[in-house]
Amino acid sequence: MNGKRTFGGGDQAAEEAARWFVRLQSEAADAGDWQAFEAWLAASPDHVAAYEHLESLWVDLEAAPQVIAHRLDQVALRPAPRRTRGIALRNPGRRAWIAGAGAIAASLVVAVEIANRPAGVDDTLTLRAAPGETRQYVLADGTRINLNAGSEIQVRMGRDARRVTMADAEAVFDVAHDARRPFLITSGDREVRVVGTMFNLRQRDGKMALTVRRGIVEVRPAGAPQAPATRVTVGQQLAHSQGGESVLTADGLSDSAFAWTTGQLVYRGQPLGEVAADLSRRFATPVRTADADAASLRFSGVLVLDNEPAVLRRIEAFAPVTAVRAADGVILRRRAGG
Amino acid sequence: MEQEGRSALIELYLERRADLIRFFTLRLRSASAAEDLVQDIYVRLSGVTDTPDIQNPVGYLYRLGSNLMLDRLRGERRGAFRDGAWLDTQRTVMGAQEVADEPSAEQVVADRQRLAALVSALGDLNPQTQRVFRMHKFEGLTHPQVAATLGISRSAVEKHIMAALKHLAAVAR
Repeated sequence: MNGKRTFGGGDQAAEEAARWFVRLQSEAADAGDWQAFEAWLAASPDHVAAYEHLESLWVDLEAAPQVIAHRLDQVALRPAPRRTRGIALRNPGRRAWIAGAGAIAASLVVAVEIANRPAGVDDTLTLRAAPGETRQYVLADGTRINLNAGSEIQVRMGRDARRVTMADAEAVFDVAHDARRPFLITSGDREVRVVGTMFNLRQRDGKMALTVRRGIVEVRPAGAPQAPATRVTVGQQLAHSQGGESVLTADGLSDSAFAWTTGQLVYRGQPLGEVAADLSRRFATPVRTADADAASLRFSGVLVLDNEPAVLRRIEAFAPVTAVRAADGVILRRRAGG
Repeated sequence: MEQEGRSALIELYLERRADLIRFFTLRLRSASAAEDLVQDIYVRLSGVTDTPDIQNPVGYLYRLGSNLMLDRLRGERRGAFRDGAWLDTQRTVMGAQEVADEPSAEQVVADRQRLAALVSALGDLNPQTQRVFRMHKFEGLTHPQVAATLGISRSAVEKHIMAALKHLAAVAR
């Protein structure tokens, strides 16, 4: 292919746009790079158009990540080497920053595989999903952890036990079976004990909610391994308030606890304040309720988490509130006469 | 510590505000849209609770704004471009009502064709380019992470991604 064409300069613009696009994705791009990019854009409307074209296909590719990833797997002659020994977490601080930058780019699900820790190394890893993004992690034992936005957990893969601590987080755990190394999660003042199962665990504002999709999970007070356990099984939900009682229910609606993993939130009469907190974790612009009155409104419905303005419009349609944009976020206010 | 990092970034933002507006006016072809976007950068910065160890703070501001632009684009492309529509599965029903904002049938068809063309164009790439592109775009690895995982140089990673983009851009035209 000859690089230049007189008509519209299309090929050259496309090539340069691709070079800029890749260079500017790097954290190493500095003020000088962005200024040079600005000069390039200003040089020709073709440049602006070529760059926009790349952005639009970049976004379009996200429409079906599973389908595309599957296709790429089929086409590639053999699967890519997936062992990222040490990379993902060699420097947790750095990793966290990368996660933070990703948060800007909506809630695209990314998978990061955590390497097998060398024998004897038993340090604690921090897994994090910044506000605005969800993250999937695969531990060395095959356990999958899908972290909801605005969550942080600590993981320690010990020889005798696999331990997770969560103070403010929500995650779906698909725990690999390993009878000799129980999977123990300290969630607020409860300890959740797992052998091999899949469940969603939410620990927010002193309230815990556990929903089991497969297997059996035991819950007892944290730090009291001899205390009698509550067993939670498929389709059951355990709700517990810090320092208070636990309530076990089986209402046949347990699937809704997993809805966030497919980009939805399902509510049945939850206070609007809780909905606002969930949205603040999922999107770039924080959402809050104007006052206690608005916060206590009960909200029911399925919210598809495609983009924040659309979600806010749907909330306005399904609850007697208006969403008002302020300098520091969005405020949900009860509609007059609503 | 956290507070310091945050306010330094906001200081820098205020210093560079005019530059940012000029840049995004060019990107968005509209001064008022640029004003809005640059205001959004501020909102975003005031919500930053981590104190990231930022290599290039000025670059970060531009990248933040550019990512917000991508987010808006994502918002505009919803509907037919959702996984559900692509896979021909169920629609979302809220109570008895279907969620509004469905795109027109023609748009759905056009979008699907475009997506199908992109997917098939990915298959034209050589296996290593596909692998690099997938790790970066779909598994969220940064260029240095892809380089380290595959044992190739960072500039090789960038060349693969550039090649993929150029090919996709030509197909999706």
